[in-house]
Amino acid sequence: MIHPDLAGFLGWYSASILLFLFATNSYYLILTVAGFWRTVRVLQDVRRPDQRRLLRSPLTPPVSVLAPAFNEEANVVENVRSLLMLDYPLFEVVLINDGSRDRTLGRLVDAFDLRQSARSFERSLPCKTIRGIYESPTYPNLVVMDKVNGGKADALNAGLNLSLYPVFCAIDADSILEPDALLRLVRPFVDAPGVTIAAGGLVRVANGCDIHGGRVHAVQLPRRALPLIQIVEYLRAFLFGRMGWSAGNSLLVISGAFGLFEKRAALLAGGYATDSIGEDMELVVRMHRYRRERRQPYRIGFVPDPICWTEVPDNFRTLRRQRTRWHRGLIDTLIRHRAMIGRPRYGSVGMVSLPGFFVFEMLSPVVELSGYILLLVLWAMGALDASLAGTFFVLAIMYTVLVSTLAVLLEDIAFRRYPHVRDLGLLLGAAILENFGFRQLTVWWRVRAFWEYLRGDLTWGAMERRGVGSRVA
Amino acid sequence: MAPVVALEPLTNAVLGLAAAVLMLAGLLLLQRSVVLLARARTSRREPILSRLVYDAVQASPIQPERLTRLGRFDREVVRSILLGLALDLRGETAEAISELYQHLGFLKRDLARIRSWRATVRAGAAADLGLIRAPQAVPALMTTVDDGDVRVRQAAVWALGQTGSPATLKGLLRLLGDRDLIVAHRAQEILAERGRELADGILAFAENTSSRSGRLAAIQLIGWLRITTGAHLLRTLIGDLDPEIRVKSVKAAAAIGDPGFLEVFHSCLEDSSWPVRCQAAKGLSLFGSPESIPRLSRALRDQHWWVRFYAATALAEAGPAGEAALSSALADTNANVRDMARYLLGRGQAVPVLP
Repeated sequence: MIHPDLAGFLGWYSASILLFLFATNSYYLILTVAGFWRTVRVLQDVRRPDQRRLLRSPLTPPVSVLAPAFNEEANVVENVRSLLMLDYPLFEVVLINDGSRDRTLGRLVDAFDLRQSARSFERSLPCKTIRGIYESPTYPNLVVMDKVNGGKADALNAGLNLSLYPVFCAIDADSILEPDALLRLVRPFVDAPGVTIAAGGLVRVANGCDIHGGRVHAVQLPRRALPLIQIVEYLRAFLFGRMGWSAGNSLLVISGAFGLFEKRAALLAGGYATDSIGEDMELVVRMHRYRRERRQPYRIGFVPDPICWTEVPDNFRTLRRQRTRWHRGLIDTLIRHRAMIGRPRYGSVGMVSLPGFFVFEMLSPVVELSGYILLLVLWAMGALDASLAGTFFVLAIMYTVLVSTLAVLLEDIAFRRYPHVRDLGLLLGAAILENFGFRQLTVWWRVRAFWEYLRGDLTWGAMERRGVGSRVA
Repeated sequence: MAPVVALEPLTNAVLGLAAAVLMLAGLLLLQRSVVLLARARTSRREPILSRLVYDAVQASPIQPERLTRLGRFDREVVRSILLGLALDLRGETAEAISELYQHLGFLKRDLARIRSWRATVRAGAAADLGLIRAPQAVPALMTTVDDGDVRVRQAAVWALGQTGSPATLKGLLRLLGDRDLIVAHRAQEILAERGRELADGILAFAENTSSRSGRLAAIQLIGWLRITTGAHLLRTLIGDLDPEIRVKSVKAAAAIGDPGFLEVFHSCLEDSSWPVRCQAAKGLSLFGSPESIPRLSRALRDQHWWVRFYAATALAEAGPAGEAALSSALADTNANVRDMARYLLGRGQAVPVLP
């Protein structure tokens, strides 16, 4: 027999969890709808001759593409070739070899006829020792920096020092940009120079696609369930979620795989934080903070049509490392900038997006896990109402499935990147499947991230990649 | 334990959500089916209609009779074909396309759409009118430039740039200082492309406007269009109190390339603003004059990297005497000077493409 007070508490607690899950899913639902509305509006403004106009316009800023690489010998040459073929009037590719232990540098030197250069540059940001700079007489817009390993943020800071142009694009060396991605992403910088300080592009899942020569030739779904589920996740969180935040100029995350920044704004904010595990999010939040504290007008946006293809983990071990790292980065950024949370001085960032991230992104796995524990406790005490718990569980799943289905529908209306009707069925299947195992695992990994964060773990963990450069998966 | 939440409302909520999911899935399949059907129909009709369009446009005068009898769906396909062709074609064929567009009633429809209550429709109509480059659309576009919605305004400015005569384009000059930055930039882009005949207007605007952003845009245009008659005005503006005006003026003066600016650039190397010094050094690299070597050698010691970089570039461009100055800089006590000299002397063919 349970004590009445304990029973009352458990009843109250289970109702609170139900309410929290309802609020979390409603939060995603609102973001998805707001994101779709914003996507439609942005796409309506894209006219047929826009690309040509941007190619010719003297207002289109030159861009430095910064690509940090660590042990990327398998694909680095092909990926650099694909970067050099971008449709853009004036750009340079700055590849930063961040102390690779394999033949990343050697392959680049051989493929691009690189010669050591005495290139002088301004050391605006501190970074680890630079071992050498290489330039190519054949490719004047390629420069390779070889440096001592210091992590992605350090490599990006070194690349920022070396870059020449007023706008820089941070990408992952193993990602693939569509040929016109840079031109599409630069649009807000051309329309409002000096006001637009950063813009994120869409990162899509490359697993399963037909890729060769550094180009995606046919968009196909992966055969494995794990990457398939992540496609639905990316649509929900990365496409419509970020578009939703962008509508209110309160976007907090621009993916490290594909983002465009005004160099001066990034330098004024202090560049990438080398002691942060979530350097991409941290920089964006710091840029918000810098501008809002000085009451300077600015815009940080998200553009849905420039696309960067990236390989997502297709095994649980790599996925665990990625998710715990993402969550540690989130915790770290929110703790660093906790003074902004709930402060009207920081506008929509302080009053809406940061509290939203704190409650619905950072704390949600803890609440969800406590719900699963509660179920076990009630079951152990013989107090579990099976039909109520089952309905409770199905309700939580149904709401998530609803949001995911809506995201798939809206993607199909706005972009239609998955060409076959069968693909839609698979995506809807993945939206259901993710609730059985995948979701619970990611909850557990994200809770573990708290522990790792408290231990001061700043490691990235090796990302095992099969390589997207030259295969049909 | 007494449940705080009753089972029945939860069950109802589950059923409601399940129904919503099914509805969305159905909607997804429905919309995909509709799109696939429309696409199949379009790809079936497109070759036939393209042939009809080709025949109509190739005849002189155009013969649109067979196209006037088409149904609604086919008319939309024809319209899309015409807009697609208009994007790529110029000259007589483009005029024939424009004439055909008008003959089929699409121009009239666009002129009606440009008065729609929906801003997206008005912006779309303005963009289509720009693509088709019909002179009849100019009066409507001139009015639309002052629309209340910024998206419509920028589309109208772009359309006027495609359609309008030099006299019409003159009307865009006032937009250089527009309150909507995006509209001002669109006007600036158009004038950079087609404003060569408006040199006097641009100079007058740069001189007389009270708008700072407008003046800056006009100065940039002087440089981009290389308006040589603007040299005198630029000399005055280089002495302006506003550093940004000075920077843009020096940049424009360098683009014009008038050797008369040599002395002006020399004095600009002493300017209090580093971007001005930087642009002056960059300008001097275009002249490659040995006269500048002593001043450029001093500029090599500038505290700002970009000034040092362009001073060294200018020295490298100043012939053997400049290279000798760089070589002697290799022994300088200042490490920054040595680094820059070493880079410029050793860069060989690996020259970065500069902004």
